[in-house]
Amino acid sequence: MSNQKKRNFQIDAFKHRVVVDPKYADKTWKILEHAIHEIYNHNASGLSFEELYRNAYNMVLHKFGEKLYNGLVATMTSHLKEISKSTEAAQGDSFLEELNRKWNDHNKALQMIRDILMYMDRTYIPSVHKTPVHELGLNLWRDTIIHSIKIQARLQNTLLELVHRERTGEVIDRGLMRNIVKMLMDLGSSVYQEDFEKPFLEVSAEFYSCESQKFIECCDCGDYLKKAEKRLNEEIERVTHYLDSKSEVKITNVVEKEMIANHMLRLVHMENSGLVNMLLDDKFEDLGRMYNLFRRVPDGLSTIREVMTSHLRETGKQLVTDPERLKDPVEFVQCLLDEKDKYDSIISNAFNNDKTFQNALNSSFEYFINLNARSPEFISLFVDDKLRKGLKGVSEEDVEIILDKVMMLFRYLQEKDVFEKYYKQHLAKRLLSGKTVSDDAERSLIVKLKTECGYQFTSKLEGMFTDMKTSQDTMQGFYASHPELGDGPTLVVQVLTTGSWPTQPGVTCNLPAEMSALCEKFRSYYLGTHTGRRLSWQTNMGTADIKAMFGKGQKHELNVSTYQMCVLMLFNNADRLGYKEIEQATEIPTADLKRCLQSMACVKGKNVLRKEPMSKDIGEEDAFFVNDKFTSKFYKVKIGTVVAQKESEPEKQETRQRVEEDRKPQIEAAIVRIMKSRRVLDHNNIIAEVTKQLQSRFLANPTEIKKRIESLIERDFLERDSVDRKLYRYLA
Amino acid sequence: MKIPKDKVRFNVGGRIFETSSTTLANSGRNSFFGALFNENWTLKQPNNDSSSNCEFFIDRSPDCFSVLLDLLRTGDLNIPPDIPERQLYREASFYGLLDHVRSAKWGQFDGNRLRHSRYVKGQAPGDGTAIRAGPDGGCCVAHGSVVHVFDWIMEEHPPLNLDYQRVNDVGWVDSESIIVSTCEKLGRGDGGMGLFSKSTGELRFKFQVCHENQVKSFAAGALSTSSGYKIFSSCKGRSNEYGIGVWDQVTGKQIDFFYESPGWSLGDADKLQWLNGSNCLMVATLFPRKDNCYISMLDFRDKRMVWSWSDFGAPITVDEKRVRDAVAMEDNNAICVVNEFEDLGFMDLRMNGGSVRWSSRSRMMKGKLSEESCCPKLALHEGQLFSSMDDCISVFCGPDWVLTSGLRRSYGGSICDFSIGGDRLFALHSEENVFDVWETPPPPIS
Repeated sequence: MSNQKKRNFQIDAFKHRVVVDPKYADKTWKILEHAIHEIYNHNASGLSFEELYRNAYNMVLHKFGEKLYNGLVATMTSHLKEISKSTEAAQGDSFLEELNRKWNDHNKALQMIRDILMYMDRTYIPSVHKTPVHELGLNLWRDTIIHSIKIQARLQNTLLELVHRERTGEVIDRGLMRNIVKMLMDLGSSVYQEDFEKPFLEVSAEFYSCESQKFIECCDCGDYLKKAEKRLNEEIERVTHYLDSKSEVKITNVVEKEMIANHMLRLVHMENSGLVNMLLDDKFEDLGRMYNLFRRVPDGLSTIREVMTSHLRETGKQLVTDPERLKDPVEFVQCLLDEKDKYDSIISNAFNNDKTFQNALNSSFEYFINLNARSPEFISLFVDDKLRKGLKGVSEEDVEIILDKVMMLFRYLQEKDVFEKYYKQHLAKRLLSGKTVSDDAERSLIVKLKTECGYQFTSKLEGMFTDMKTSQDTMQGFYASHPELGDGPTLVVQVLTTGSWPTQPGVTCNLPAEMSALCEKFRSYYLGTHTGRRLSWQTNMGTADIKAMFGKGQKHELNVSTYQMCVLMLFNNADRLGYKEIEQATEIPTADLKRCLQSMACVKGKNVLRKEPMSKDIGEEDAFFVNDKFTSKFYKVKIGTVVAQKESEPEKQETRQRVEEDRKPQIEAAIVRIMKSRRVLDHNNIIAEVTKQLQSRFLANPTEIKKRIESLIERDFLERDSVDRKLYRYLA
Repeated sequence: MKIPKDKVRFNVGGRIFETSSTTLANSGRNSFFGALFNENWTLKQPNNDSSSNCEFFIDRSPDCFSVLLDLLRTGDLNIPPDIPERQLYREASFYGLLDHVRSAKWGQFDGNRLRHSRYVKGQAPGDGTAIRAGPDGGCCVAHGSVVHVFDWIMEEHPPLNLDYQRVNDVGWVDSESIIVSTCEKLGRGDGGMGLFSKSTGELRFKFQVCHENQVKSFAAGALSTSSGYKIFSSCKGRSNEYGIGVWDQVTGKQIDFFYESPGWSLGDADKLQWLNGSNCLMVATLFPRKDNCYISMLDFRDKRMVWSWSDFGAPITVDEKRVRDAVAMEDNNAICVVNEFEDLGFMDLRMNGGSVRWSSRSRMMKGKLSEESCCPKLALHEGQLFSSMDDCISVFCGPDWVLTSGLRRSYGGSICDFSIGGDRLFALHSEENVFDVWETPPPPIS
């Protein structure tokens, strides 16, 4: 064998013929490509799904997946480029419509293409980590159309222009807007955000910045708020109509910032229409609007609250310090109640019953009510007035409402013990003169005070009611055991427990003989049934009904005080009496006597006495006669004493002093209670704790506390620490 | 008689089938039939007179169509003996019904109802390292330096290798991706760890360990993944990079490293298990170079070992109990361990430094171990505990872990590894290169 022959010997590689027709792949692809063209040209009715699906399947099966995929990308891209051109060519308003139409076409085509290429989508694409057909279609649309130079800016401007037109009152095609915005969202949230939302927010900020500037120059506060609210609602509505719901927070933030936050102070303080004016005029609607709008921005509510508080404190301060107001306590308290009612209804109607506003209201009231030291007295007087006469013909519920309101004011008082003092005085007068209108109302108020301040606060007040009840029983007993007294004058004694009542010891007068005999009988009866007691007459607090006959035979029944009765009885035995004579006979204290004579001689319609000389004031040298010419339409005539309802200055001082006096043991008791449990405490802490303990009754004065501590040290309840002088020790 | 309006007539490869569009609707929108009946495709609808011979032509095998049509009608898969399974799967794939076939083929996993479905024999020499069940019913088997990949049909895909280095562990990241950890080849930077595509076998990422901004070559050991797209692996480098590495499975970048504390062989770990509830990784080093076993729980957020156990200093008794595998049971706050005699032991995760409570269950196996036997393995699946010993897998249930089932098939020698996933259990035998597939049959008819 030669070498050449050897060289001729060749082994052909085995040809592995997978595909019979080498053009198979191209042919199949042509069919599919044609189908894609037909789909885009709305000409799909002639296509056989089964055939196309099978062809695509076969291409993938025979490893032409890549050719198929690349072919798809190329074909779809070329179609999208054409679409891009025709969309660019659309004129004016038809641009969006054209884009929307093409987008719908593309979506439909994409779905059909995906159907044909389903097998590729399912098997080939995941294994080579390519983009699935649907997503590919969206990406190509985004890159070829939405992000093409000629469309991107135009689309954005068109959308923003439409929004602007809608804001300026034109009607736009919201459906179309919705479709286009939906398209941007379908292309991915980043497309929506970058290509629309971001510029939209910027343009909106600019728009509202200008508009708010314009409004604030020419509108009053209420109108401005109305406009802002309208704009805000419009934007919220816009979001529901055609934007992504996630945009709502963003766009409302823009409106809030531009229209409210940036102009907040100017709005609140706007002259003639700002917050203060709204409060003054009870503009619930405007206030509510302001509350709801300001609530949306940081510091909005606190701004309203601060302005309201300072206004409230200012007006409150004026109210309680206005000397005109101080003349009529009932009016004064009524004003406070009206003010409170006004703000309560503002808070409930306009401020959503906001707790922080309620707190601001309470602290303001507490602040200014206590600016006037007479507030406790006035509140008690108000109650007195209501319980004397004001509650007649008022239903039980209404009584409760009024009492509840009073309790509210009472809660603001720091010096509750002062109130108690006055209340006791006023209650005593009411009870003794039988002037109280409703026993239920009285008791109801006591119960309220009790729940507010505890048993201790009201125990004496309740004692007064008990005394009244017991006295009735005593009187029945007295007359039962003395049947012979039926014809003479009738005596009604109210036995008052010392300490429970604001009695003044030692003030008494000479009673007429008839009366004093009766009084003696009662005294012996009473002391006979109750041993070990002492009775003293409080003639200054009594009343009497006496029958009188005047010159022409007119008969009248006079309702007078005990003092007045004493004076009048003198005239049974005399026609003329000098002041001195009266004073001597009755021994009524000068001030009281003068007042009592004045009320009988100088008040028109009640002048049962005649005075010489005729003057307004009572002089030491005056002489008095029975006024024969006295006439009255009524049979019964009530002769009131000329009393200053309010306390006079010296009386006030006296009450004050009594209050201070009463506080001393309370402060001491508190100190001892605290020290007993703590054993050792420094000065500042004692002050703090005592103040806290007594808060419900009054505001303890630190100097007074200090004095009490010193007094307790003197009495060996406490001692100072030998090393640290600031420390106190409790001595058991 | 009225003719139902939704009657549909098919000509499949020459045979006429009649069915209803409601039946076909069971195939879902993402299938051949779903697309066919979509309004986009203006079907040449047969005229309403039933005598017309209008029908849809499909150029496919009628035999398989019949089986699949039945599947759509009843939900049951019945393959006549004369149809090769592969052919049926091929047709199902064409129609987009493969998922329907897959879910009809076997039922929801229950360790006490498992049936042996088939076994698969491989050509590679014995010495299987690990078998891992995939989420969709497939599996992968590591043999020496190659990983063989099977889909749920048990068709083999191109095998995976990382520079033909010895494979230490494999794991599924998702139904498309597999991670492989291998020994390193000294000085060459080969080996390490890689992520592969299941279907094509191509390498997608190679994971790296950086130490002081320098890329180091390393040997990767045990693997674990977390639901937060993290991959954990025990790493052995030559300098300081012993410990547990953490990578992001989406980017393939290293995101964390837990350096080994002295005397604690994290880099040698044989088993890692991520615990979702407690946000910890269990690391078990059971066949260390040194003599002791270590199990610890690592919290990566503050780089802390929150729980640890070691058999260091434990008395060596006659019936020595060495821990051979461990599995954390989060719901029970315990770690279950097994020794070479398949005794189960439990440790309380709520207290540190406790000891193993061995269960008294004794198989009287001591001293009877055959020389070829493999170490027992443990697995936990939905409240059922599995352990392998020789050629049998035991199933334990209930709060006291009562033995309820035994899975045994006397072929292939003892079981060296097993894995549960995709509602299947795979058991790899050590003597022959063969693995078993266990499935739960579909639920009973009524």
